[in-house]
Amino acid sequence: MSAQADAATARARGSAVGRFVFRETLPYLAAVLGALVVAGLLLILIGADPLAALGTIFSASLGSLGGLGQTLNRATPLILGALAVAFAARAGLLNVGVDGQIYLGAICATGVGLLLTRDTPALVAVPLVLAAGFVGGALAVLPAAALRAYWGVNEIFVTVMLNFIFQYLAEYLATGPWNDPRSGEAISRPISFAAQLPILSSGLGAHVGILIALVIGAILAWILRRTLLGYSIRAVGDNSTAARVGGMAVGRVMLVALVVSGAVAGLAGGIEISGYYQRLILGLSPGFGYMAILLAVLGRHRPLGVVLAGVAFAVLLVGSDSLQRSVRLPQSAVLVFQALILLAVLLATSLRANRRLTVAGTPGSTP
Amino acid sequence: MSLDLFLDPNLLRLAVTIAAPLVVAALGELIMERAGVLNVGIEGIMAVGAAAGFLATWASGGNYVLGLLAAMLAGALLCLLLGGYSISLRAQQISVGLGLLVFGLGFASLLYRAVVGIQFSAPRISVLPALPIPLLADLPFLGRVLFSQDILVYLAFLLAPLVHLLLFRTSFGLRLRACGENPRAADAVGVNVHVLRYVAAVAGGLLLGMAGAYLPLTLTGGYSDGMVGGRGWIALMLVILGRWFPLRVVGGALLFAYVEALQFQLALATQAVPSQLLLSLPYLLAIVVLIRIYRGAQAPAALGIPYEREARG
Repeated sequence: MSAQADAATARARGSAVGRFVFRETLPYLAAVLGALVVAGLLLILIGADPLAALGTIFSASLGSLGGLGQTLNRATPLILGALAVAFAARAGLLNVGVDGQIYLGAICATGVGLLLTRDTPALVAVPLVLAAGFVGGALAVLPAAALRAYWGVNEIFVTVMLNFIFQYLAEYLATGPWNDPRSGEAISRPISFAAQLPILSSGLGAHVGILIALVIGAILAWILRRTLLGYSIRAVGDNSTAARVGGMAVGRVMLVALVVSGAVAGLAGGIEISGYYQRLILGLSPGFGYMAILLAVLGRHRPLGVVLAGVAFAVLLVGSDSLQRSVRLPQSAVLVFQALILLAVLLATSLRANRRLTVAGTPGSTP
Repeated sequence: MSLDLFLDPNLLRLAVTIAAPLVVAALGELIMERAGVLNVGIEGIMAVGAAAGFLATWASGGNYVLGLLAAMLAGALLCLLLGGYSISLRAQQISVGLGLLVFGLGFASLLYRAVVGIQFSAPRISVLPALPIPLLADLPFLGRVLFSQDILVYLAFLLAPLVHLLLFRTSFGLRLRACGENPRAADAVGVNVHVLRYVAAVAGGLLLGMAGAYLPLTLTGGYSDGMVGGRGWIALMLVILGRWFPLRVVGGALLFAYVEALQFQLALATQAVPSQLLLSLPYLLAIVVLIRIYRGAQAPAALGIPYEREARG
């Protein structure tokens, strides 16, 4: 028996890495494949050719320099939003208000951008506008954070309700005081030229927002792993009762986690204004907040996972924008694809978790 | 502005109409939660219900019953899916609910486009006609407010006592609630927890889909993306506000509906206040209500916790 067991362990050790990668990625691959099949069936239902649609998605988002640049631009708010959700989730909190935080961030960024004159140096103007977005996002989440920290009010509901309020505020500003009368539409006057985010490369047409998003991701990962704050956040998220008994100011940790989360989402709003639109517009977010929640779950609340998933969603978003033009797919169809991916991944992971439970429960299977 | 503005019979009548979908949605969620199944995807399920309800009514040339049934079927199917994940697969219920929420929002829009196609002007149906109740409708004030509504509104307010009786006066209701409070004990006395939770999920889904159909059939006469407008989340709150009791849910629904109706009234009465501020009022109210909502709230003990027969208690 021992010889056999030794041989088995040796084999297992030799391929442990391979098996780990296999085990960790297989459910995701299977899930994405399954989601694609269901999405294809839905496309057939509305009378589109699924293979051609798939081709369009990839050629539009990755097939050209311009498309690639567009994908990077779209990935920026997705990644920042998802990082925001994931960061709060590590403290056991669900920030459903990324959309509202993007809107208030964009409002503050636009407000500052409108005040700046044309001859402000870009080195001053750009950071100012982005900082305004950052602060705006923090302000947007502050009511939810304070209510959660001091009165134990569920942050999910408050952040959802704030989404609607800040969207109406944006609508008011874009149609009222900040309206550009020459446009005849519900958009604001353009912000100062000086406050435009620098371009990454002119061929790509991408702005440097993606770099900012990656840096923020690295900073958040560092905070979570290497700082006292990160330790407290993880402790509160894992078991808030134990953290409280251990002497942590649980309320304050939650407050900080949510405010950081909101600020990161608000920064996405600032980048959208400074890098993409240069004005406050109404359809600023095509549901980034919802996509961010899906991404955070898909990326398992880890910054690296969130970044990878964010790029994948950006491919889908740019691809479906182009499908919108070619096969007249409604814009919100992309939400169906993204939700299908999440549901498929949840299916795969919970099937696996259940199997593991059963195996672990079998007597004698543990060494 | 005088007090008359706030007690105007037409305003109160509108508030009762607006409350109806909130009542139905909250009752649907309440049934599920009482059995221990948490569903945070109401908003998306209602969106699919609204699209399905509108499309079936429109395509059948104004057959409201067909519209209602289509919406209920859609809601039941989505909640069956939710049940599969949270009851059988023991997946994280909030993640599944959020996935379903986003799926519903997108799918409703896709469904609408698939059936209607591209049209110059959005198709419309006429909203359900008012059905004044003989004699009662002639009462001076209440007749206008309560008894000249359409049939679906009456149905919504009848459902609340019916759900109450079902949950608290039948043995089926007792068993259902046991699944939400102490599934192990329920199992021990021979209740099939999984089956009963599925039943609750599907029953809740029927009501959630129906609540979605109320929007085009009684309120707007058309479908547009985002028309649910947070009502799903408010219904989720109403369940907590009503402490998981069907009759108390009605009170909360009337409060929210009153503020939403009032906002239309105020927009007509005053031009000075930006309409967006008025439109924000129901959401601001929700936040104020939330501050008080959790004090003393006692959720079903096993809410959101999957039941495992084999696990050690």
